[in-house]
Amino acid sequence: MVARTASKKRKAVTRDVEEEAGVFSGDELSAENLDGTLSDNANDLSESEDDDSDDSEVELVDEFSDDDDEDGEEELDSDEIPSDDDLKTLPSTDEPNVRIVKDANGNDRYLYDEINPDDNSDFSEAEDNANTIGDIPLTFYDQYPHIGYDINGKKIMRPAKGEALDALLDSIEIPKGWTGLTDPSTGKPLNLTQKELELLKKVQMNEITSEGYDQYEPLVEYFSGEQEIMPLSAAPEPKRRFVPSKHEAKRVMKIVKAIREGRIQPYKAPEEREEEDDDLINYDLWADEAERPDHIMHIPAPKLPPPGYEESYHPPAEYLPDKKERKEWEQTDPEDREKDFLPNDFGSLRRVPGYESYVQEKFERCLDLYLAPRVRRSKLNIDPESLLPKLPSPEELKPFPTTCATVFRGHKGRVRSLNVDPTGIWLATGGDDGTVRVWEILTGRQLWSAKVSDEDAVNVVRWRPGKDAVVLAAAAGDDIFLAVPPIADPEIEKASLDLLDAGWGYAASAPAPVGVEANKVNKPVSWIRPSSALADAGICVVIPLRYVPKSISWHRRGDYFVTVCSGASTPASVAISIHTVSKHLTQFPFRRRLKGGGPPQTAHFHPSKPILFVANQRSIRAYDLSRQLLVKILQPGARWISSFDIHPTSSTASGGDNIIVGSYDRRLLWHDLDLSQRPYKTLRYHRKAIRAVKFHQGGRYPLFADASDDGSLQIFHGSVTGDMLSNASIVPLKVLKGHKITGELGVLDIDWHPREAWCVSAGADGTCRLWM
Amino acid sequence: MSDELNSTAEEAAQRQVRVQLTSKQEDVALPENTGPILVPTGLRRYALSTLVNNLLGSEKPVPFEFLINGTFLRTSIDEYLTANGISAETTLEIEYVRALIPPLHIASFEHDDWVSATDVLSEASPAASWASGAKFSKGQERILSGSYDGLLRIWNMSSEIIATSPGPSEGGHTASIKAAKFVSPNQIATAGLDRTVRLWKYTEDESDFSGKVTPQLELYGHKSGVDSLAVHAPSNRLLTGSSDHTVGFWSTKKADAPAAPENLLSSGHGRNSKRRKMNTSVSTAQRGPLALMSGHTGPVSAAIFDAKDSTVGYSASWDHSLRTWDLVTGSLVDTRTTSHSLLSLEHLPEHNLLAAGTSARHITLIDPRASATTVAAMTLRGHTNAVVSLARDPHSAYGLISGSHDGTCRIWDIRSTKTDKDGVVGESVYSIARKSIEEEGKADSKRVGGEGVKVFSVCWDPAIGIVSAGEDKRIQINRGEGVLSSTKQ
Repeated sequence: MVARTASKKRKAVTRDVEEEAGVFSGDELSAENLDGTLSDNANDLSESEDDDSDDSEVELVDEFSDDDDEDGEEELDSDEIPSDDDLKTLPSTDEPNVRIVKDANGNDRYLYDEINPDDNSDFSEAEDNANTIGDIPLTFYDQYPHIGYDINGKKIMRPAKGEALDALLDSIEIPKGWTGLTDPSTGKPLNLTQKELELLKKVQMNEITSEGYDQYEPLVEYFSGEQEIMPLSAAPEPKRRFVPSKHEAKRVMKIVKAIREGRIQPYKAPEEREEEDDDLINYDLWADEAERPDHIMHIPAPKLPPPGYEESYHPPAEYLPDKKERKEWEQTDPEDREKDFLPNDFGSLRRVPGYESYVQEKFERCLDLYLAPRVRRSKLNIDPESLLPKLPSPEELKPFPTTCATVFRGHKGRVRSLNVDPTGIWLATGGDDGTVRVWEILTGRQLWSAKVSDEDAVNVVRWRPGKDAVVLAAAAGDDIFLAVPPIADPEIEKASLDLLDAGWGYAASAPAPVGVEANKVNKPVSWIRPSSALADAGICVVIPLRYVPKSISWHRRGDYFVTVCSGASTPASVAISIHTVSKHLTQFPFRRRLKGGGPPQTAHFHPSKPILFVANQRSIRAYDLSRQLLVKILQPGARWISSFDIHPTSSTASGGDNIIVGSYDRRLLWHDLDLSQRPYKTLRYHRKAIRAVKFHQGGRYPLFADASDDGSLQIFHGSVTGDMLSNASIVPLKVLKGHKITGELGVLDIDWHPREAWCVSAGADGTCRLWM
Repeated sequence: MSDELNSTAEEAAQRQVRVQLTSKQEDVALPENTGPILVPTGLRRYALSTLVNNLLGSEKPVPFEFLINGTFLRTSIDEYLTANGISAETTLEIEYVRALIPPLHIASFEHDDWVSATDVLSEASPAASWASGAKFSKGQERILSGSYDGLLRIWNMSSEIIATSPGPSEGGHTASIKAAKFVSPNQIATAGLDRTVRLWKYTEDESDFSGKVTPQLELYGHKSGVDSLAVHAPSNRLLTGSSDHTVGFWSTKKADAPAAPENLLSSGHGRNSKRRKMNTSVSTAQRGPLALMSGHTGPVSAAIFDAKDSTVGYSASWDHSLRTWDLVTGSLVDTRTTSHSLLSLEHLPEHNLLAAGTSARHITLIDPRASATTVAAMTLRGHTNAVVSLARDPHSAYGLISGSHDGTCRIWDIRSTKTDKDGVVGESVYSIARKSIEEEGKADSKRVGGEGVKVFSVCWDPAIGIVSAGEDKRIQINRGEGVLSSTKQ
């Protein structure tokens, strides 16, 4: 016992943290499957690996081989929980404790086992009345008066056997502790002390014999999770408790490896095998049933509603019919009854009788299914039309262009740009053939034509706003031409010529700005007089820009216009230029490229405020010209903006500015500048890129249109309300088709008549069309 | 009564109705009053026409149209009765008139350029009727055409050019002519995109095969192209509508007219030498307007005199309005605003209506009188493009012809109506297509926007027929034979 406790103590001290050890306790690992594989593995490893394979591995194997003869030191080194086996197996006493070996002379030599000093099994305290004859049966002395010998060699006499009378006497007065038994070892009557009797009694009663032993005394937790204030050992914790165990890692790796290689299979619940009876054939009615396609004639049976309270066997009292109701129910025809049953309270489920009309009901239901045609009823009884937002019908939003009224034919090659003059009588066009033409808008009669360039296309034509002069700006190649077509009366024509001529003197007298001169790239652009041929044709001024302007936009006063050279090779500093007609001055307001989104595409002045909007490929920026700062950045979200237009009256009608943006990725975006820099609405109706967008400029009709490469124009109604509460409502009105798609291009430009709800479009097929 | 009993007996087989046939045209009136005739209600126009021809006993059947309560019968009588809720027992008053014969193509006169204006001179034309002094001899019908090349041409009926106006260097128009009218057999008025109105003296030889047009007067005042011209010869007045939003009132007499405004004479500041050269090898008298009436906010597309009262003028404009002018004071009397741009105007004096052709492809009939409650009395629908020219039917107070940019001329009878959701809508009786399409062999193909075949001007004369000018560079003459015969020439 002492050894046992000692060993326990020792182990308690030396063992690793219990939890850790517990994870890999031998019990778990010594399960049948694991054990073999692991040890195999270990052997394999030790064979395959180098000589310096760790001892611990061998230990591991040793441990699993159930070796009992481990000594203490091994136990100490091992992380294993020591098994209790070593305590169980004491050497048997039957074995001779002597071995015979040969000594140096060849004689036998007796080697005795060392005497275990703790083993006191050989010594027992001699009892007083004990027999000393040794281990000799008492029957040997039956014919002798003695029964043995004491230590002095004197006979021990047989105890005198009592006579019958003695026995009687004894029976009368039973001495204390009498049992009536004879002690077999002494032959004397066996008397038991009071203490022994109580002990026997307790044994008989299955009680615990020792006095004062509490079987249920509270457990003293020697090893608990609680941290003791005073630890059992004050020794500092060993280092290995803090360093990760190499050994464990190795074991884990081994297990991981085994799992990976598939030698350890995760536990699988044993498959429940249905006992198949081979003789019995099961027919699966639905084995090859295919999913039925949804068909108008296939109407699944309707679901019955779930039962309510009144169908309960024990319904609440309010569901029970009173007499009147019951009578009424009974009197009505079974066909007219609302319900085919009366709520009934049975108290408990076992009192519910059988359903007497079960067969009847099933029969009737079958009859119903058989006879009654069923109708498909849609569950959601919502008119899909009602879910759509209420749009006014296009009829109410008339007038808007619906049909082609005039075809303007004359250009060779594409017509790139067109513009209706401020009076609404003339239409200017420019095309790939390098000509600028002016037409009578209603009849389609060409009135004036000027060939401004032999090889370059006319990219854009724009009339100067205002009715005080007739000036047409056209851009072809690198040059911008300002022309006065002979369509006005002499007075206005003179005014127009004077307007254009006024700048010559100014340009000649004004010294060139020093700062610009220093910059070689921004060499000032000087406006020049046209060649005589061009002058005869009506061209008054030529502005050589050195880069190809693709966009012209006039300021509403007619003194400035902004041009944008959108070519990728154009230096950013000269891409956007503002031209002053009265001074013959060209300025480049932007030094650097606009951030994000490639070269600038187009620019417009705000219709009433001193704001310049500049669009590059992905964003539109608004610059306040008077304060010279960036006011707003719009992110339409388009990949490549082709054009945009500013609502003509939006700023005056107290609401914010509204801008429509067309993009090459087929989107038309409506921006409300007050709402967000993101589009208020995105319209994606075209199949191909949108080339041009335009509001109706007169402000008389809330119309706008876009032109697309798919050869169509789309007319929209977009009314901007004055109050801030309501947003613009946009109604698509009409798709105008007519332009033929030529070389992947459809409609290239679009414009509105300044007063009427007429629009004109320029097509790649060489025609322009008036729609009204 | 027995008739009625009879009719009820036979009702299952054939319902009958009593009709009273009348006619206002005396040559086809029934000789004696036949009284009510019992006719089956299933009859249509053709059967009724046969019936009337039988009653008249005419050898050559004359097609008739039938009017019940002022509208043409377009269905069977039965359907008419049902539609109008009239009992079959009442006596129907049916008026019959000669049916219009489809106008046949007579001739086409080829030009060098688009023909923008046309007018006729014949016995019944206004110019001839006004001319008291100059005798108009029969068979001397003339057709006037003004072209986009700035030249004025006068044709006889044999498609020969009798006279051509001088070119720009000899005092002619320096730009396209947009309107041309005979003032009298010896005088012509034209207006054009060169912002001038010009008066020409027209003289003919005895041989009738050559004539001369000499410039007489140049009228300056408009600041933009002059689109429309109206003439009233007895009072020597002209009325013009211009793109500069004004209506011009002019005198044809050199003595009456004020001096021309200096700033509008192009000779002063010609921009280049070329144009200066073009000017004035012939000096013509230059005069100004009697009045320039402003009020319109868009180009004035048409200006006409009232057919009865030459002191009243009407003008139609792109600004959607129709305005009435008092020409004596030059003041605006009344404004009627419609919902579309108006491009042409004609007065129907018998009905006190003004017919205005619109850019919205229809003709609206407007009552210009101040007492009229509604702006548009009727709409005539059928054209597929802007209606730019209108003329009265010389035979009928109800007739009208319109020329449109869709390349057709349509004949309308304001009695031929149906009731639509938009109110009373008229239908055209006949549509005259351009001969040029047929000659090209593309009669079936539809021209988008009337491209190449736009009709710019139309004129209807009882003797010559329907004269229309258009983008196909020709004047086309159509005539209904029946129409001619009815006038008994």
